[in-house]
Amino acid sequence: MSRNVHVAGSLHEEGENIGLHRFALFTACSTAFLIFVGGLVTSNQAGLSVPDWPTSYGWNMFTFPYSKWVGGIFYEHGHRLVASFVGFLTVILASWTWLRESRLWLRVLSLIALFSVITQGILGGLTVKYLLPTSISMTHACLAQTFFCMTIALAFFTSPTWKHGLPRVQDTHQGIALTTLCALTTGCVYLQLLLGAWMRHTQSGLAIPDFPLAFGRVIPDFKDYHVAIHFAHRFGAILVVATIVWTFTRLWREHRQNKLLLRPAIAMLVLVCAQLTFGALTIWTEKSPIITTAHVATGALILGTSFLLTLRAFSMVARETEWQ
Amino acid sequence: MRKSLFVVCLLSVLAYAGCGKSDDPFKDFGPAAGGNGGGGAAPVVTNATVKGKIVFEGTAPMPKKIATSSDPGCMNNDLYAEDTVVSDGGLENVIIYLSGGDITGKSFPVSKEVKTLDQHGCHYVPHALTIQVGQPLKIVNSDNTAHNIHAWAMVNAPFNESQSSKGVETIKMFDKEEVLLPVKCDVHNWMNAFIGVFKHPFSTVSGKGGAYELKLPAGTYEITAEHEKLGSQKAMITVAADGSVDQNFTFKAQ
Repeated sequence: MSRNVHVAGSLHEEGENIGLHRFALFTACSTAFLIFVGGLVTSNQAGLSVPDWPTSYGWNMFTFPYSKWVGGIFYEHGHRLVASFVGFLTVILASWTWLRESRLWLRVLSLIALFSVITQGILGGLTVKYLLPTSISMTHACLAQTFFCMTIALAFFTSPTWKHGLPRVQDTHQGIALTTLCALTTGCVYLQLLLGAWMRHTQSGLAIPDFPLAFGRVIPDFKDYHVAIHFAHRFGAILVVATIVWTFTRLWREHRQNKLLLRPAIAMLVLVCAQLTFGALTIWTEKSPIITTAHVATGALILGTSFLLTLRAFSMVARETEWQ
Repeated sequence: MRKSLFVVCLLSVLAYAGCGKSDDPFKDFGPAAGGNGGGGAAPVVTNATVKGKIVFEGTAPMPKKIATSSDPGCMNNDLYAEDTVVSDGGLENVIIYLSGGDITGKSFPVSKEVKTLDQHGCHYVPHALTIQVGQPLKIVNSDNTAHNIHAWAMVNAPFNESQSSKGVETIKMFDKEEVLLPVKCDVHNWMNAFIGVFKHPFSTVSGKGGAYELKLPAGTYEITAEHEKLGSQKAMITVAADGSVDQNFTFKAQ
């Protein structure tokens, strides 16, 4: 029989380990901030401003004097420190989960997250050592998004809401299942982020210099691969908007009363509007660093929100046949 | 590995210098083995001249002022972008070089002159320079701040090295021809320079008013003028011994 205890001013059931959930949430938020900081590095073309790794201009990373954080060094060295902080958080999160969690699959997930963050650190070092090769830089960018999703999953599965058992929702729609639709949206967003990383790391961000048209046309001449990558990212944006609107409409029509599902869908819709604006502004301002970074960070937030909605959908929604 | 490469390059230069007949590398280059000129290194005298102006046609862009506030160590309030520098109707920082004709298939001694690329006032001096394959390039930090030297080489081996304080020098050599080889500083993302690396010594950079002058042996050559932003142009010239040829190039505003 469980009993209620006070934790940080709230009532929680013993055994929920609300501390672990909050820590996982903090790690997820820190990861979102890390992606923003990583975006600043690329947007300011500062990826190689510290030529050595893991040292910084020969200094230990943690004792590098602040007075030397000038120009691009501020972004690159700052990124390394925030990344180290997130790595440190992940070590604690994995240890905490392993020691206090009874669910083996969750313990394994925390270890995968730890392995991912270590791999991510090594990839970051390799980008410096090998002068930003596209393949490594892209892998670094995509693993960042994947790791972000892992931290969201850890926060979700350790949440009291999940442990108490989420309300069950019946999916009576005859077409595509809601769970599939949510997963499809998340997949589209992830692929779009991959295209964005490809575009960013091949310096194709301004390969098409006008917007909304492309060289004054709807479909440009694909004179080189930069234009093709850039255009693919624009086309991907249409697919992402379409899937998000589709998901939102479906939830609004059929599950409006369910806030756990509707809220992330609304957030996605708002974020994707902001993202389109940032995308257009990226072109119109010729890649202003702060706008470009906002575009990168908002992309990550859309993925995170879509992924959370997908987790909730899979945890809550059942088809009519499964319902009985 | 880098040190070994440097030592090998240095020894090669010294060995070549030891075998040379003169201190002036321009006096004693001859045809390569198996070249059109037959056996023996017949001395070639650089007694001909090609000169001219790189004309800029159209409205010169307003020099774009660069904000250096991200680094207090820069303190250069008079810094402008150097991607299109126009003076007296002429375009500066254009690399002019022989790209074909009578130099084809010939080899030339490497100049021992040490070229310098200085980081001064948080910009590169000069903005464009030419150098021979194997010729030493001294890269200097004259600023009270850190720079990194990042050569975005596509043909040669790229490198990225730090120069954390004033007075630090680095010597580099390139082992293959490459035009243009961009050099940039990632700490100060406005800083960039361009290097033309050639097997031969017949190259120069346009200066004030777009003027240039190139000493070369008599012959018929293809000459190329290449700019970092406005592309390249070619022309054929024939110049006699002790003669001079005027060859202008015109680049249009984009």
